[in-house]
Amino acid sequence: MNKLIYAILLLSVTSVTAQETDFPFGKPTQAEFELKRYDKDTTANAVVLREFGTAYVSTNVDISVVFEHHVRIKIFNEKGFKNGTVSIVLHKNDANVFERVSDIEAVTYYPDEQDLMRSAALDPKQVFKENRSKYADITKFTMPNLRNGCIIEYKYRIESPFLRHFRNWEFQSDIPKIYSEYLARIPAVFSYNVSLRGPYKLTKNTGTVERECYNAGGGFKADCSALTYAMADVPAFIEEDNMTASSNFLSAMFFELAEYVDSRGVKHKVTQEWNAIDRDLRSSEEFGSQMKKKDYFKEKLAPLTGNITDPLQKARAIYDHIRNWYRWDNIYGIYTEYGIKKAYESHTGNVADINLSLTAALLSAGLDAEAVLLSTRSNGLINKLFPVTSDFNYVISKVNISGQSYLLDATEPLMPFGLIPIRCINDQGRVMSLNKPSYWADLKASQKESKTYTFDLTLEENGLLTGKMSFISSGYAAYSKRQSMKKSTSTDEYIEKLEERWPKLKILKSRIDNVDSLDKPVTEVYDIEIRAFDNLNKDRIFLNPFLMDRVNENPFKLAERSYPVDLGSASDTRVVLHLQFPAKYELQSKPETIALALPNKGGKFIMQANQEENSFNFYQLTQLEKAIYQPDEYLYLKELFNKIVLVHKTDIVLKKKI
Amino acid sequence: MRFLPIFVVLFWSLLSSAQERYAVSVIPKSLINRASAVVRDLDYEVIMNKPDDLAYKVRSAVTVMNSAGDDEGEVVIFYDKLFQVKSVKGIIYNEFGLPVSKFTEKDFKDVSAVSNVSLYEDDRVKYFRPAMTTYPYTIVYESEIRSRQSLFLPTWRPVPSEGVAIEKSTFRFTGPADYKLRYREYNYPGKVEENTEKNIKTYKWQLSDIPAARLEPYSPDPDRYRTRVRLAPETFAYRGITGKFSNWTEFGTWVNENLLKGRDVLSPLTKQYISELVKDTNDPKAKAKMIYEYMQNKCRYISVQIGIGGHQPYPAIDVDRLGYGDCKGLVNYTKALLKAAGIESYYCIVNSGAFKKDVSPDFASLNDGDHIILCLPFKNDTTWLECTSKHYPFGFLGDFTDDRLVLACTPEGGKLLKTPKFAALENRQTRKASFKLAEGGDLSGKIQTRFEGTQYDNHDMLEGEPFKEQVKELVKLYPLPNLEIEAFEFKKEKGLKPVTIENIDFQSRAYAALSGGIMYISLNPVNKEKRVMPDLRIRNNPLFINRGYIDEDEYTFELPAKAKIEYRSGNTTLEKPFGKYTATVNVKDNIVTYRRVLQMNEGTYPKEQYAEFVKFYQDIVQADNDRLILKF
Repeated sequence: MNKLIYAILLLSVTSVTAQETDFPFGKPTQAEFELKRYDKDTTANAVVLREFGTAYVSTNVDISVVFEHHVRIKIFNEKGFKNGTVSIVLHKNDANVFERVSDIEAVTYYPDEQDLMRSAALDPKQVFKENRSKYADITKFTMPNLRNGCIIEYKYRIESPFLRHFRNWEFQSDIPKIYSEYLARIPAVFSYNVSLRGPYKLTKNTGTVERECYNAGGGFKADCSALTYAMADVPAFIEEDNMTASSNFLSAMFFELAEYVDSRGVKHKVTQEWNAIDRDLRSSEEFGSQMKKKDYFKEKLAPLTGNITDPLQKARAIYDHIRNWYRWDNIYGIYTEYGIKKAYESHTGNVADINLSLTAALLSAGLDAEAVLLSTRSNGLINKLFPVTSDFNYVISKVNISGQSYLLDATEPLMPFGLIPIRCINDQGRVMSLNKPSYWADLKASQKESKTYTFDLTLEENGLLTGKMSFISSGYAAYSKRQSMKKSTSTDEYIEKLEERWPKLKILKSRIDNVDSLDKPVTEVYDIEIRAFDNLNKDRIFLNPFLMDRVNENPFKLAERSYPVDLGSASDTRVVLHLQFPAKYELQSKPETIALALPNKGGKFIMQANQEENSFNFYQLTQLEKAIYQPDEYLYLKELFNKIVLVHKTDIVLKKKI
Repeated sequence: MRFLPIFVVLFWSLLSSAQERYAVSVIPKSLINRASAVVRDLDYEVIMNKPDDLAYKVRSAVTVMNSAGDDEGEVVIFYDKLFQVKSVKGIIYNEFGLPVSKFTEKDFKDVSAVSNVSLYEDDRVKYFRPAMTTYPYTIVYESEIRSRQSLFLPTWRPVPSEGVAIEKSTFRFTGPADYKLRYREYNYPGKVEENTEKNIKTYKWQLSDIPAARLEPYSPDPDRYRTRVRLAPETFAYRGITGKFSNWTEFGTWVNENLLKGRDVLSPLTKQYISELVKDTNDPKAKAKMIYEYMQNKCRYISVQIGIGGHQPYPAIDVDRLGYGDCKGLVNYTKALLKAAGIESYYCIVNSGAFKKDVSPDFASLNDGDHIILCLPFKNDTTWLECTSKHYPFGFLGDFTDDRLVLACTPEGGKLLKTPKFAALENRQTRKASFKLAEGGDLSGKIQTRFEGTQYDNHDMLEGEPFKEQVKELVKLYPLPNLEIEAFEFKKEKGLKPVTIENIDFQSRAYAALSGGIMYISLNPVNKEKRVMPDLRIRNNPLFINRGYIDEDEYTFELPAKAKIEYRSGNTTLEKPFGKYTATVNVKDNIVTYRRVLQMNEGTYPKEQYAEFVKFYQDIVQADNDRLILKF
């Protein structure tokens, strides 16, 4: 799966004094004014003409890291105007520790009604600050006087107290860039791991040493490495359906603080080796300490697990208890917000509160439980080369019983034991244990999304189709079924809603099982009546046998695909139909038997139809064996669905016997 | 000793009454049916101490029956500088009415309520979600909010949405006896109770025993059938401003004087530019068109909600300088530009959205309307402008503000005016296509579509996009398999009755498949009705069709010479008061002509017709799937 391209940048740092700097502000060239479109991508609504960013470690004790950004953008048409509204996200811890933005300068150069080039500067009163949440502020402004063909240019400076938060640099955005350069000046006392992600190559990659550039006072001085990275002609990033976070694919430069030497000459390792991270997490008040609180659960769980000896049964009982106990507050995180004691008492907490409770509870019962750090699908993939805890945004639990591992997430009360929500299915997670070194483990759906529809119907003389239909749903299909059932107070209510959604259908009798037995598939059996035809006074009757989940349109419409299609889990849909029809009719035509397969056992579509005396049997299987299809498999996937659409258009034709 | 039994009995009765109060078992059965939440007892009181000192007190008990009712279990409090939370606390009870947990203000999350599309607003929100995983449960809370203004007074909507039943809900306004409160009741079954005691006057409204309603599609605006009580001040205070209005006329004057006055000043340079711009014509309408187009070219829409609750426009001089503004700012600016050319226009308050909604004709309040448009009162030729669009033709409102009452702020005060209506036959989509079917089942051809009236902007997502992006949209709009666009044209005729014309040349590989010597051909490949109307057992609301339209499609298919028509479906005609559908098939040699017309008629129809409406759509879905069977 992990097709990301990482490059570890090895730099030969030479001692040169010449220093690349920012391009001059406010001096667009004649050629830039005259540019009518971007020839390398004529579909672009706007293009970054030039961009320069720099970041350096400050000697000011209150600051830490300074980031400056300067960009000049040509806007060809009004669809590109959205690039004229700028939102700068600023992180904060509390009222004293926060990032601040300053030195905002911005100008629009625009052709007026007589086509004369004019300029308009940003009015400082039109810069707005929003207190977004506990941890973020947003500074927003929009450029004045945008016109087709205008150039906007702006710059700003962010001062950050967060040493770890050396800003990453995105070479790629949703508009193309002609040139983008980043200069990182890093004192030798700090060491960052630098990595490049995405498919494009750097066109410039140089390093120079600046002598004694860093002066922390008290005679403590250090040299700096000035590292320049640049890319030219970076294409726009275009998002596609069914893909995980765009940050997984954007070309960008990542900086992670590895270690630093403080003014007393003491070296601090920040990130680098897993054993250091393990140690930190294990002793963290919001992580390891919480996992260790197993005594807290001992008494509470005694009545639940006291009589159970089978470890798997025990684990299930604990999982059931915890998932029913908590209502998740919809907040992600690897660190507890309240701590498991307070969270347990109040029945609520963030992901870490809940799943570390689960881990601690499992440990308290003497089970081999661990916590798994992960990054959710929308948060992007983990950079496995340089471990950084801040890349993770979610934690689940893992219990190992008789050589078998089970991944558990108690935030979703309707998830069965061993199945984790789709949002967690994202490559690999890092397993944290209290007594062993951490390690990687696959995050996969333990069950397919599986649906089986069975129909046993008779076409009556009066045009009604009567008989039984049953649905069996498991895996994520059962999860979503249960979710919709829980939205009704009674079964009657659920059935009524079902009937409303499917006009012509009348449910005479129903039986729904295992809604609350999460480990079993949800089964629904209905005695039904479908008003298929007003009467049977016709010579010919057309009946589409694809009564459920008919595919009318191909979900894959694009001619080609650049990024993997990520469906989250493998799936499996079966339909079985037995149709009895009146003796006065004979089967004139039916869908032809078909069997198609994707290469490399990627999946298949099988449809069989055969006829007996006065009845018709039909079987259909659609199987997608993979959760993720690579771009080179896209066309096969698309073609498979093309065929399915065609087959689903085919009717059974019954003809009156003469 | 002998007192003890009495004590015990008393104690038990107290406990059981407390328990009983919020137990689910005491909710009347009639209210549980279909309810995802039940408002047990909600008391909402607005207390005016002085016009700039009000308290909003809520005591609420709501039982959440299932997960669909989760929203009703949340406590959500919006606030800003003038609207501050003083206290909030509550208790959660289980199904049996026993307390489970308590919460206070510190358990609330506090976040910005600014929408992502907005550059600036000062709204914030505090919210609390009960930590309950089992249903039903009851959340009981009390809150007090202090408001330092009386320009905006709340509206009571005891029935928040479908699926919520009301056991009891009360609304009260308490203020000085001499304070003139204006109020208006809508669909309120009783009459207000007024009570004066020692210079304090109380108004009280109450609703009880309302079963949960179901979601009924194609219903009128809920405001037309749900209970609602609106309040408005006659005299008010707002951030040091005091004022008075009791009807729309006075309100319009108040808007002119307090929100707009002095905001139409332009620089001499701009004024000069405008007089230059229009100097070659004497026709005011032609002048206005030039000015509107100048503004459209110069300005763009940016949402910035500042000043008097977000009701005051940016000064025209700022919009002129910045080249952007929100609806108020852009309307006010256009009005100023028109004034510079000697053309009068009115700033108009309107309720926007495809769903038509009038400004309340007889209750003047700043809470009405959410958008601003401009009215040009030319003699016998009133013209309307939507100032937030860079593309709308001069005088075109589209379905965002058509056919509804608006409040025009004229120099003589506020006046109610009606925006133009598009009749069903004007909202026309006409499509003509010629297809050629190859023996292997591939389809190729040309499709031309004209969009008129409120359908004018149906495909505007294609406008101004590069071809590559247009193709991405077209494959979604035209569900033909393996669609390849060979040529595409999208043009606008921006006259008084604007038209959009779209031309497509395409190829569709494997449109149909040959199977056992037989090929199925769908006759309606691109305008198939897919809507499934829920078949409601009980319908309470009338059938409401907000806006009429007509779609006409005519397709010709040239069949392969070898093909023989094995079967073709008959013609379909459906005619109902609310709509008409016809589909006809004609065959001449190897040319098949399919013609489909669907017309829907705007209006309100008796609820009994809903079942026919469902059937009408079912029949259309079926007829749209009509096919030709070819034999080779």
